[in-house]
Amino acid sequence: MTNKNLNILQNFNILYLEDDKNLRLHTKDVLEDFVNNIYAVGTSTEALNIIINNKIDVIISDILLENENGIDFLKFLKEDKKVHIPAILTTAHTDTKYLLDAIKLKVENYIIKPINIKELLNTLHDVLLPVIQQKQIQKNNNIIKTISAVTDSKQVEVVNFIFNNLNNDDLLITSYSEIMQMISISKPTLIKLFKELAEKKILVKTQHKTYRFDEKALNLL
Amino acid sequence: MFIKKILSYFDAIAFTYKTNFLILIITGGMICITILSEISIFSLKHDFDILFERRTKPLIQLEELKDTYKVNIYDTFYDIQQANISNEHASEVITLAKQLINNRWFDYKKRVDDKYYKPSYITSVITAIYPITVIEEKKILQERIISNIEKKIVIIDDLMNNILKFLEHNRSYDAFNLVDKLYFEINSINIYLTSLINYDLKLAINEKRKTEKVFNIMVVMSVISIIFVFLFSIILSIIIINNFKKLHNSLELKVALKTNELQKLNDSLEKKINIEVTNNRKKDLIMFQQAKLASMGEMLQNIAHQWRQPLGSLTMIIQSFQTKKMHGKLTDEFVDRKVNDSLLLAQSMSNTLDDFRNFFNPDKVRTKFLSQTCVEHSLELSKLLLEKEKVNFKFIIRDEMEITGFYNELSHVFLNIISNSNDAFASKDKNEQKIIYIVIKKVGHFAQIIFLDNAGGIPPEVLPKVFEPYYTTKYKSAGTGIGLYMSKQIIEKHMLGTITCKNVKHKLGTNNLYDCAKFIISIPINQEDYNDK
Repeated sequence: MTNKNLNILQNFNILYLEDDKNLRLHTKDVLEDFVNNIYAVGTSTEALNIIINNKIDVIISDILLENENGIDFLKFLKEDKKVHIPAILTTAHTDTKYLLDAIKLKVENYIIKPINIKELLNTLHDVLLPVIQQKQIQKNNNIIKTISAVTDSKQVEVVNFIFNNLNNDDLLITSYSEIMQMISISKPTLIKLFKELAEKKILVKTQHKTYRFDEKALNLL
Repeated sequence: MFIKKILSYFDAIAFTYKTNFLILIITGGMICITILSEISIFSLKHDFDILFERRTKPLIQLEELKDTYKVNIYDTFYDIQQANISNEHASEVITLAKQLINNRWFDYKKRVDDKYYKPSYITSVITAIYPITVIEEKKILQERIISNIEKKIVIIDDLMNNILKFLEHNRSYDAFNLVDKLYFEINSINIYLTSLINYDLKLAINEKRKTEKVFNIMVVMSVISIIFVFLFSIILSIIIINNFKKLHNSLELKVALKTNELQKLNDSLEKKINIEVTNNRKKDLIMFQQAKLASMGEMLQNIAHQWRQPLGSLTMIIQSFQTKKMHGKLTDEFVDRKVNDSLLLAQSMSNTLDDFRNFFNPDKVRTKFLSQTCVEHSLELSKLLLEKEKVNFKFIIRDEMEITGFYNELSHVFLNIISNSNDAFASKDKNEQKIIYIVIKKVGHFAQIIFLDNAGGIPPEVLPKVFEPYYTTKYKSAGTGIGLYMSKQIIEKHMLGTITCKNVKHKLGTNNLYDCAKFIISIPINQEDYNDK
């Protein structure tokens, strides 16, 4: 169905605002298989209630609602309630007026009815991916920090230095003395560390004062 | 050549000048004739006067002179001879006679010699032109006679004096001798006088002849001049009349030409009018078609609108099968539910299509239907439009009535009015409550359907024109329904009803008073019965 990993959607809550009862029901039936929780509502009042009481990651909203306007609702959320939730607009109207308002609101995407579910899911994926990545980075950072807390901190510092000084070709150009000026580490310990890295083919000396970092070696560990 | 030149010049001058010229000529001729005749009469009178004064009066004087000698002197001396009268008495008579004779003679001579009596100017002119052969006055003869008479008078005087002297001295014999001599002298003077009279008489006759000749010439001249003036006037009149005729003919020709042109113009106008009328009919037909097309376009938009939502749902349902299968959740229960939903949606879409298709089917026959059904149907069709503008409508049925006519055409009219109200609302302030208020009631033999809306009414400058063809307040004439002109045609020609509009103030079932546009459509109830009556 798609190349993208739609499983990432599984952890998110979605608010679906649509005034047509039939369409709301059927779309909900489809989307509930992909996401953690879908809240399908017909009016902005209900939607606001849901937002206040639940953690919502994405809002999918129709522009023309009964007696109200999805764009106005999003604007209200952003400017009055200071709630910043990514939003996707759906509408049968392709008027530029709506489009301009949507751009001003910095909505994530704009889907024209009838809704193509693939397009909707892809859009959801695109919207949510940075969130997931952000979470991943945060997680890794946390891991490193935890490791450095329980092991020899000097070696972690050196590794940190190596990665910070890699150039675009994954080459590290430095000398032991340079490293020792930056980090207070004994030369034997440093040599031992470099030797270990060379044995595991992670950091191989190619020339004098030049080392190559090999990412693939990490995966072989 | 010269005459021709004059004639052509005469032709060229203006009409008024010609008439003036004619009048001038005729009056001038009349005046000429009158003056000439007056002059002739007066000059002739003058001549006759002269004749009388110069010739006739001297004759009388000479006659009297003769009588005086004969009667007074001769008789007196005869009486003296017979001694019938005294000497004194006789001398007195003779002195008186002498005085008389002297006076008369003096008068005569004065008359004969006087240059006062001149012929009139005209007469002298005429005599100068036409020398009249008269017997020359024998001046010498006259003078000799006169001198003889004068001599005789002196002789007679001397004789008388001598006789009277002799008588005073009583010398009767001498006196009587002289008296015989006197008798002789008197006779001779009488002869002289008679010859003088004869001479004068001749002169008078001569002069009379002369005057007659002058008179004849004058008559001839005046006749000639009259004839001349008359002829001249007639010729001129004929010329002018001919000229008038020419003018008249040319005018007649011009009039005929213009009449012909007018006739042609009339004919072409008639043709043009006919062409225009047929063109107009064609235009009406085209307009009706256009109106229908426009209305159709609008309806199509409505259909598209009404289809969009179920179409969205259907799309979603179809896709849901795929996703459910992907997750292994495609249960029988799910399939049944979704298929049922889809069928319902498809059915509603089909219904929508049927609604609009019926709407465009031209009615072949008149049908009987309830008036409110048609209104309700129109409202149903325009529901989407009304919802879009958030217009509320109130529909009040006072009386239920059956009317006969073309159902679809009537609903087009209703839809048009509703659509116009809707357009009016679209251009208004959005905060106000929008109401379309429809009432059906029975008024006499008519079903009255009243449409009211609170969109502020129709502008007064537009109001008289709303039913005119080609009139629209909208920029795009297409897509606004069949138009009020066509509505009027349908109501008046097909439904035999009337449609009017005006601005009113109405509460529309609320507490506020609104400025409203009001359309009243009256349709005969049960037309066949009505027609039978």
